[in-house]
This record gives sequence, C-alpha cells and structure tokens, in this order.
Amino acid sequence: MAEAIITLNQIDVLFKEKARSVHAVDHVDLTVNRGDVYGIVGYSGAGKSTLVRVINLLQRPTTGSVTVLGQDMLALDAKALRGERKRIGMIFQHFNLMNSRTVAENVAFPLRGHKSKAEIAAKVEELLELVGLADRATAYPAELSGGQKQRVGIARALASDPEILISDEATSALDPKTTSAILDLLKSLNEKLGLTIVLITHEMEAVKQICNKVAVMDAGRIIERGNLLDIFAKPEQKLTKDFIDTTLQLDAAVAAVKQQPAVANLKSPDRLVRLTYLGASTDQPLVATLYKDFNVTANILFGDIQILQGTPFGNLIVVLSGTAADLERTFAYLAQNDVTVLDLNAKEDAQ
Amino acid sequence: MSFLNKILPNVMPLWSGDGGILQAIWQTVYMTFWTAVVSGILGLFLGFLLILTDEGGLLPNRPVYFILDKVVNIFRSIPFIILLAVVYPLTRLLVHTGIGPTAALVPLILGTAPFFARQVQNALLTVDPGVIEAAQAMGLGPWQIVFRVYLREGASELVRVGVLTIISAIGLTAMAGAVGGGGLGNIAIAIGYQRYQNDVIWTAMILMLILVFLIQFIGDIIARKLHH
Repeated sequence: MAEAIITLNQIDVLFKEKARSVHAVDHVDLTVNRGDVYGIVGYSGAGKSTLVRVINLLQRPTTGSVTVLGQDMLALDAKALRGERKRIGMIFQHFNLMNSRTVAENVAFPLRGHKSKAEIAAKVEELLELVGLADRATAYPAELSGGQKQRVGIARALASDPEILISDEATSALDPKTTSAILDLLKSLNEKLGLTIVLITHEMEAVKQICNKVAVMDAGRIIERGNLLDIFAKPEQKLTKDFIDTTLQLDAAVAAVKQQPAVANLKSPDRLVRLTYLGASTDQPLVATLYKDFNVTANILFGDIQILQGTPFGNLIVVLSGTAADLERTFAYLAQNDVTVLDLNAKEDAQ
Repeated sequence: MSFLNKILPNVMPLWSGDGGILQAIWQTVYMTFWTAVVSGILGLFLGFLLILTDEGGLLPNRPVYFILDKVVNIFRSIPFIILLAVVYPLTRLLVHTGIGPTAALVPLILGTAPFFARQVQNALLTVDPGVIEAAQAMGLGPWQIVFRVYLREGASELVRVGVLTIISAIGLTAMAGAVGGGGLGNIAIAIGYQRYQNDVIWTAMILMLILVFLIQFIGDIIARKLHH
C-alpha cells in the first residue's frame, strides 16, 4: 500500500487585492505518495506555484488542511515549521542561488550551524559529486551556465536530506537539451534516494519524461489527474488533450496529413482516423490483423511511438478503406482492444 | 615656504594652533566619523525594520511600517540648516552646549540616520526576493535571513550607499560648522568668506574634496571586493 506523504485537503487560496480578490487555488485536494514523481501541469496563472507553496507553507492557505510527512503543518509553531521545511527541498525556475557565495558555500548554506566544518565539507563534496559538479566547487554562480546553476540548486536542496523535493518550473529557463539532462538527474534521485518529487511545469514534455502521476490545473482547480499512462491514453478534458497533442506534435501532423491528395480526395466509406494505443495493444500486429480478419486496409500517414515509463504509447494517423460493414466491425474490434479511435473527418465537420 | 606664503597669504598663519586649519580638519573628521558610526547603526537598524515590516516582508506589520516610513520622510524633508535650529534645545539638553563639534553631532545624526535608513532599505530591495524565498524554504528564520542572506547578498550595495551617506554627511558638517560646529566649514565661512580671504575658502574646499575622494576610493575598493 502506498504511503501518502503529502495530503492537501480542500485547499483554498484567496489573494485580496484592492478592487477584487483572486481565487488562486480553488478547493484543491491532492495526495502524493512516497516515491511518486508527481507532475502538476498548467499554463502560467493556473495556480500551480501557489499550490505547491502551500506544501511547505511559503503560502498559507485561506482554508484547508495540509499534512506533510504525517505532520499537520498548520498546527506547527514557527520554529517547528522551520524544522519541517528542512525535510522538504525546493528548487526554482531562476535557481535563486546566492551570488556572493561560491558553489560549495551555496550548497553548505543550509547546513551551517547544524554540523561540524568537516562534516559539512564531506557532505558538500558528496552532493556536488551526485549532481556532477565536483570540479566547480570554488566557482561563483555568475561563472556557471543555467544547467549548472540548477545542479547547484538541486545539491543545495538535498543538503538537509529531505524526503520531498518541490520543483517549481525548475527547467523552464533551460534549453531543451539541458532540460532533459536535469530531468534525468531528478529521475535518478527519485530512484537512488527514494526522493518524492512534486514537479510543476507548463511543459507536458517534462511530465512525460519523468512523472508517474500527473494533475492538470486550470484557473485554480485540478481538472484532471491520474497515472501518467491513463492520462496520456485517455485524456478527458480539452486542456489535457491540448497539452498532450502539443507534446506529441500531432496537431501539426494532422494539418500536414490533410494536405495530402489521398486524404483530400477521401472516398466514402473510407475514414481518416487517429488510433491511440498503449502497452499490450501495441504488441499485436494491428495493421496486419485489420487486413487479414476484417478485409480493411490501413494506409499509415503518420506514426509516432513513445515510451512512457517503459510502456509503448503509439499514435497512428491512418486512412481505413473497406466496405461500410467491415469498417463497423473494425471499430468494434479496436474498441475491444483498448485502441482509442478518433475520427479526424468528423472533428473537422464539427468545427 | 615663501612661495606658499605668497599664494596663500592668509592660510599659512592660520595653519596650526587653536581655531587653526589643522584643528578644523580634525573636527571635520571627528564629526564625520561619529555621525557615520551612530547614523550607520541607527540607519541600518531602521532600514532593516522598514524592509522586514513592509508588506510582503519577513515580519509584515502595517502600523510599524507606516509610522517608520512617515518619520523617515519627515526628517529627510526638513532642510538641514533648519533642523540645526529646531533641535538646538535638544542639543543643549544632551551635551549642555550648543557650540562645538560634539554639539553638532546631535543634528548631524538626526539628519543623516533617516537618510541612511532609506538608502539601506533601497539597497536591501536589490537582494533577489527569490533568494529570500529559497532561504525560507530551507527553514531559516527571519533573523538568520537578515544576517546570512540580506547582509551578505546586499553587502556591496550597502557599502555603496554607506559611502554616499558619509559623503553627504561631510556636506552637512560644513553647514553645522557655519553655525558654530567648528571644522572646515566654519573656517571657510567664518574666516574665508566673512573676511574676504579667498585662499582660505579654496583651501578648505580642497581639503574637503580630498576627504571625499579618499572615502569614495576606499569604498569602491571594498564594494568591488564584495561583488561577484
């Protein structure tokens, strides 16, 4: 049984401004289990940053309860809260390093006053080794690249041996290659140290790479949540679909496909469809089966297969040709085998 | 020597002795030093209080901020020459005389501390709020953040505004000198200006400029050392 490490219950955050009040977080429940890499995705202004700040009470909720590592956070006095915060590391979009201190001093910063000089030096060395920056210990942040700065941020966040790491858009200021490297590092920390990670981002790509669970936020609410695979295979909300399609670049593919003559001159009862399938369904020679058993030919116009958490996740855009009856039987078969069929002609008609 | 006597006919006899230029230099340095020390401590304290109690600060407190903010503004708005006169009774009360460099310290500090407090506030505003948030997330308390983040990250900016404040205080010592505080300002006005001894005025001015440049030079070196 998975152990709940963070439980947010009916969290509401209201910002009162002069003329109006802003409902930044609107009755959100969230449970993160130990070992999760939980992605919270949404556009800027959706309330993600405010929501994660409720976890370590950098933002106090207007109403609701916050339980982290078994502690009722709102019941703690200031001193006890500071103690709890040491068990929750945090990394930031703009790294938030101290420019007046070297890399090693930044990493040592949370440890001063708690450990002896020798212990701190050993810990810092170990952490810099872990994030791959052992050779830059005496450099100042101004001398580092963005990716290196974030590595220092991660080492600093890990200095007090936290059980939870909050990542607040930690890769949003980095280029795609560096982003991927930092995400890999987070994933390895999750696996090596058993670190639970809450990652907020506006890029589904980041979620796809390392998260096992995902929640989609819009206007202060979580509108959809679940296991990564379920969400990718069967998104229900329009916003979730948009995020996924942007990541897979399917919109662009569909637009390109529709330009092709084979599609533009589609004859009834032929259908242009998108097939989405996950895991086991992939193993079956889908296209061959359709021809052999149903007498339907599938002309593949676009195909994309990704590996999500070790499970293949495929999207095909195909033209299915056959008699109307054969096509009906085909759709029934596909539905039975957990292949989601989206009729792309119908989509256009609807618009 | 005879050359100096020729171009500075009034300066040379005035150089040493009671009420002389050497003594005036000492008085100016004395006033500047103690103004800097006392206003430095007071201003730093008030500046931090402004930053901490401000909305969004680490210890937000609207009434404290409001009062402090207004007091600082009022003291900064009073022209120094008038402040000198206004606090005269207080000066008498505190140092039992209204004349001399020590008496001048009372208005000098009252004029400089609020100015420095505002400068400190502005200097600390340059510290990245993200770094403050990171420190909070690491479990540091407000006072730890003051000493380990604000003072460290804001150090070079604090030195910069400190130099600015000392230089402005030197200007004020000249004004205080003119109304009985002594120092180079007194020499320039009471002797140079009133007796039409231009060489005395010029000498006093150049000596003050040297003092200003010296402080600026030292300040720049320190600020550069602190900046990374």
